[in-house]
Amino acid sequence: MILRAIAVQGWRCFANPVSVGPFTDRLNVLHAPNATGKSTLFEALQRGLLDGHRVSGREVENLRPWGRELAPTVTVEFSHGGAEYRLTKRFCDHPAAELERRENGSFVRMAESEPADEKTREILTRNPPGRGLSRPENWGLAQVLWAPQGNLALDRLSGDLVADIRTALGVQVSGPGSGPLEERIETAYLRFFTPGGQCRRGKDAPALVRLRESLQDALEAQRTAAEQQQAFEEAARRVEDLRARRAQARRDADALAKSLRDARARAEAYRELISSKAQRAERLKAAEAQHRELEQRIEAIKTAAKDLGDVRRVLSQLRSELPSRVREVEQHQIEAARTQTALEDVRKTRDANEATRQTAERAGRYLDELRRASALDDRLRRINQASQTLAQHKLARSRLVAPDAKTLRAIRNAMKDCDEARMRLEAALITLEIVPEKAGTLVVVSGEEPGARSLSAGAPAQVKGSPEVVVDLPGVARLRARGPAGSIDEIRGERKKAAQKLKALTEAFGTADREALDALQDRATELDKRLAAAQTQLDTLLAGETAEQIQTERATLAAVISGMLADYPDWRATPPDAAALRAAAEASQRAFLAALDTAEAARDAAQIALNAAGRQRGTLEVRIEETDRRERSLAATLAELTDDGKSQGERESEMRRVALAWEAARTSLEEIDAKLAEFGEDPGATAATLEKQLQAADGTATQALEQEKREEGRLMQVSAQGPYSALARAEEEVARLKREIASEELQMAAIRLLRTTVEQSRNAALAAVAAPVELAATRTLQRIAGNRLGRIQLGDAFEPAQMMPGLAGASVSLESMSGGEREQIYLATRLALADVLAKGERQLVVLDDVLVATDSGRLARVMRILEEAAQRLQLLILTCHPERYQGLDGARFFDLERIRGSAAG
Amino acid sequence: MKFLHTGDWQIGMRAAHVGAAGTRVREERLSAARRVIEAARREGAEFLVVCGDTFEDNGVDRVLVQKVADILGGFGGPVYVIPGNHDPFMPGSVWEHPAWRSSDNVCVLREATPTEVSGGTLFPCPARERHSGKDPTAWIAAAASRGIRVGLAHGTVEGVYQEEPDYPVPRDAAVRAGLDYLAIGHWHSTATYPAADGTLRMAYAGTHETTKFGERDSGNVLIVEIAGPGASPAVTAVRTGGLAWPVIEEEVREPGELARLRQRIEALENPGATLLDLRVAGLLCAQDRDELARLEQILASRFLFGRIDATRLRPSPSDDSWIAGLPAGALRSAATRLRELADPACAGPRPEGASPEVACRALLDLYALASEGGA
Repeated sequence: MILRAIAVQGWRCFANPVSVGPFTDRLNVLHAPNATGKSTLFEALQRGLLDGHRVSGREVENLRPWGRELAPTVTVEFSHGGAEYRLTKRFCDHPAAELERRENGSFVRMAESEPADEKTREILTRNPPGRGLSRPENWGLAQVLWAPQGNLALDRLSGDLVADIRTALGVQVSGPGSGPLEERIETAYLRFFTPGGQCRRGKDAPALVRLRESLQDALEAQRTAAEQQQAFEEAARRVEDLRARRAQARRDADALAKSLRDARARAEAYRELISSKAQRAERLKAAEAQHRELEQRIEAIKTAAKDLGDVRRVLSQLRSELPSRVREVEQHQIEAARTQTALEDVRKTRDANEATRQTAERAGRYLDELRRASALDDRLRRINQASQTLAQHKLARSRLVAPDAKTLRAIRNAMKDCDEARMRLEAALITLEIVPEKAGTLVVVSGEEPGARSLSAGAPAQVKGSPEVVVDLPGVARLRARGPAGSIDEIRGERKKAAQKLKALTEAFGTADREALDALQDRATELDKRLAAAQTQLDTLLAGETAEQIQTERATLAAVISGMLADYPDWRATPPDAAALRAAAEASQRAFLAALDTAEAARDAAQIALNAAGRQRGTLEVRIEETDRRERSLAATLAELTDDGKSQGERESEMRRVALAWEAARTSLEEIDAKLAEFGEDPGATAATLEKQLQAADGTATQALEQEKREEGRLMQVSAQGPYSALARAEEEVARLKREIASEELQMAAIRLLRTTVEQSRNAALAAVAAPVELAATRTLQRIAGNRLGRIQLGDAFEPAQMMPGLAGASVSLESMSGGEREQIYLATRLALADVLAKGERQLVVLDDVLVATDSGRLARVMRILEEAAQRLQLLILTCHPERYQGLDGARFFDLERIRGSAAG
Repeated sequence: MKFLHTGDWQIGMRAAHVGAAGTRVREERLSAARRVIEAARREGAEFLVVCGDTFEDNGVDRVLVQKVADILGGFGGPVYVIPGNHDPFMPGSVWEHPAWRSSDNVCVLREATPTEVSGGTLFPCPARERHSGKDPTAWIAAAASRGIRVGLAHGTVEGVYQEEPDYPVPRDAAVRAGLDYLAIGHWHSTATYPAADGTLRMAYAGTHETTKFGERDSGNVLIVEIAGPGASPAVTAVRTGGLAWPVIEEEVREPGELARLRQRIEALENPGATLLDLRVAGLLCAQDRDELARLEQILASRFLFGRIDATRLRPSPSDDSWIAGLPAGALRSAATRLRELADPACAGPRPEGASPEVACRALLDLYALASEGGA
């Protein structure tokens, strides 16, 4: 592309229309001071050619001149492929694009709006951007050919451009005919993949995508079918389990039923045995009773017969003893009468003995009463003495008026208050002391004790007062003494009050002297102690009684003594000898008692013997009567026992027969017991338990059956769907799809490998042909900077990667170069690549203020190189230093400032 | 006594290995079942014994159960069937289908108890579970029985390698059980087991219709004739299979061999009923690539099912004439590189995904693309 002219309006600093051109095919220098719009013009060129006209956003809005509502508009005239074009684009407001082509000397509209955008970009880059802003990576060839302001550096070029460069170089290294085959390979590749290597999607997606989707569906169907099949197998297992459980439950129930039948049979047998046992027990009991009756009868007959004989012998013997017993009783009756008489005689001496004893006792008592009367008299005397002493003390105490301890403490406090009041009063009074040298008179005008008083020579006289003391010394002077003003009346009141209180407290004691009061209190205390001691003594003597009670007791005792003396008047004169009287009485008593004991013993012995004889006779008579009665009873019993009409022998024979029957019944019963013992516990209870168990087992079996039926229903439902067949079909589908996918994958992998291998081969070849680019760039650089920098080495994307020094040395990174050297390296590389990309067609190269760091010496060499490049390329140099490019041969200069001025004018 | 011995019909079996032909393969098993009935009639069999695995699984479509019951019922004479390990008699099994109760002549022997038949006694050994380590014939004590004694079992005769015993049947089971003949199922190829005296008393009938590639001798039934108790059975195999499952392995070395292989395959009879497993190995000349494609087309179009395994086929290293014809530069070097990668023995780094098979295919694609343009 060759730029012919460019016009802008409403574009940043270009509010008014500005047109620059026409440009030459070779060298063009657009110069202007900074901030005049060079780079803006370059931006307008770039956006006009590469941006969609409908782009929007802040970046585009910023194109408007500041503070103006203008639509940025650019018109670019250029030639390409031998044709002349004019492109006009309006941004922001009513965006529009129009592409025209010169036909027959004038521009004719060729495309507008989006087609105009697209057509333009197709001219410039093989892979134009979609709608919107263009980025450097979308600039296509311009990435190499157009260097933005101050940035000659070649960043990593876009894949398209790299491909273009490689293609451009590749043509030179591939043999003829390779293009169509490579295109077929590419076409085959693009049937499956995008140029970026991704698998195609959407309507152009290869069959593999659809197959994979189908496989997912098939796998889902397979999973569902497998679950169904598994559900079927599990349901089958459940039914199998339930059948086994039901069968087991049935077996359990059958076993229980059999056990129940056995138990019931045993229970029946048991009941029959119990019944038989009862019957046999009855028979045994009857036999036993019969045997016992017979045995008892036989024994009773024997006993009765024997007893009757014995009784009759005893009766005869008893009757023979009776007369002697009667005589014996009569003799004992005589002896008893005699001993009774003797006893009565002894008893008659009892009263005399009693009188002697009582006299001795009363004599002792009389003496005791006399001693008690004497003691009481002594006690009464001492009580009288103590009473008198007490009365004396009480009288003395009542006569003494003395303060008690509490009163005394109050008096002391009152005294203290008086003293304090007095001292305070004295302290408050003004004291005027006069010591006269000679006798005279003193007249107190104001102060205590006003009036005249005499003065003695040398005797001090004091006058007190408040608030002042005024005295006259007649003929001498009036003296006035003042002191500080104070409440003297209050102090006097307090003193008076204290004095009155003291008086009230001490008035009763007749003295206010402290020592006298203390003495009074000591005296009172002493009297109180004596009074208490007398009271204690009296209380001790009375011992809880009153004197009257003691006197009454004494009177009673006197009466008793008088009574005794009335019975024994001799004792008044001569008190009795109580001990002698007591000894005599005791001796008499002992003798009486001894006689009485003897008589009573004799009488008792005789009476006992009489009683014994009487009892023996009575006993004998009773025995005779009883024996007689027994004899009659035995005779009756014997008669009753033998009234069966059998002989004793017959009875014994019958008893042996009955004994045999009894034994047989017992044996039979033991047999039954043995059979019952074999049963252990009652089989009826076992049968009842088994019956319950059987019911439970039947219930379990029924439940299991119901559950089984339900589960069978489910199983039938699942099996009716033929889950295995569904699974088989699903698996077959999955297998089919996997095979097809494998085939497709093989096909795709093969075409990818083919393309990759071809590409790698081509890249390897291109790597070899990139060497001329490196060589051309290096040669240009060496012409500018000499051989010192070495050889430029390009990276994969043809960007300068590093410098290789001339002699074998380590590579040097571009970062270690100076700014000027880097500028020169990039310029050399851009020019080398531009030569490759131009493909023989002249292309526009824009250098916007790019050689700012290059010194003037090297810049001169750059000028020559640019002149050479201009033979193949159109160069547009934007600079604010036009003088640096003045040396360019054949360059056309455009003064933008002047152009703008012309446009404005 | 004359009867037909069959088994392992595997009705409803999955045939994932044959892709879309699976449906036809399943249908053919029913057709083969009808041929079994025809064979029984033709050979004058008094009854049929089906020794297990009549169905592939208890979960097969119930329509298939009804169809099989109808086919067996169509024989007219007695048919005795035992469940096998694929269709064991258990809840939900095919044997609970009402079709079996409504049939007059088909008797499913669900219990291991002797069953009287005309002229003798059958001793069935039905399977009740998928796997078992027990000898299914162990219960048989047939010596005391009168008449001809025939056992029906499903299991693996000792001597066949298995990781775990699966219904193991002793090699002398027939003699030991006192049977005149033990009809067994489970393995799909026909196999006989003569006793020590040379008498044939035990045999696998094999499946009536081949189930997969590689089965040695399947697609048969056995007609068994026994003159009387203790007599030596006369066993005759009768073909019932309708599908052929050939496996052709061919190694090619020289140009033109693939064409000869194609001709041989084209000469196969009844390709519509043939499932072909073609395995080609060796060296492929570029000019034969068309033959390979043609083979694929023939297999896909004429045969019921066909697959070609060419993974062991690699470009001939000496065949570089077409490579020399490629444009010089990247394409030619790419072709050379691909030919190297197509060799499994290729040393050096191998790009990701560049297996010999992929490289071979890529090389063939390059050849095809180059041929399209006449390059």
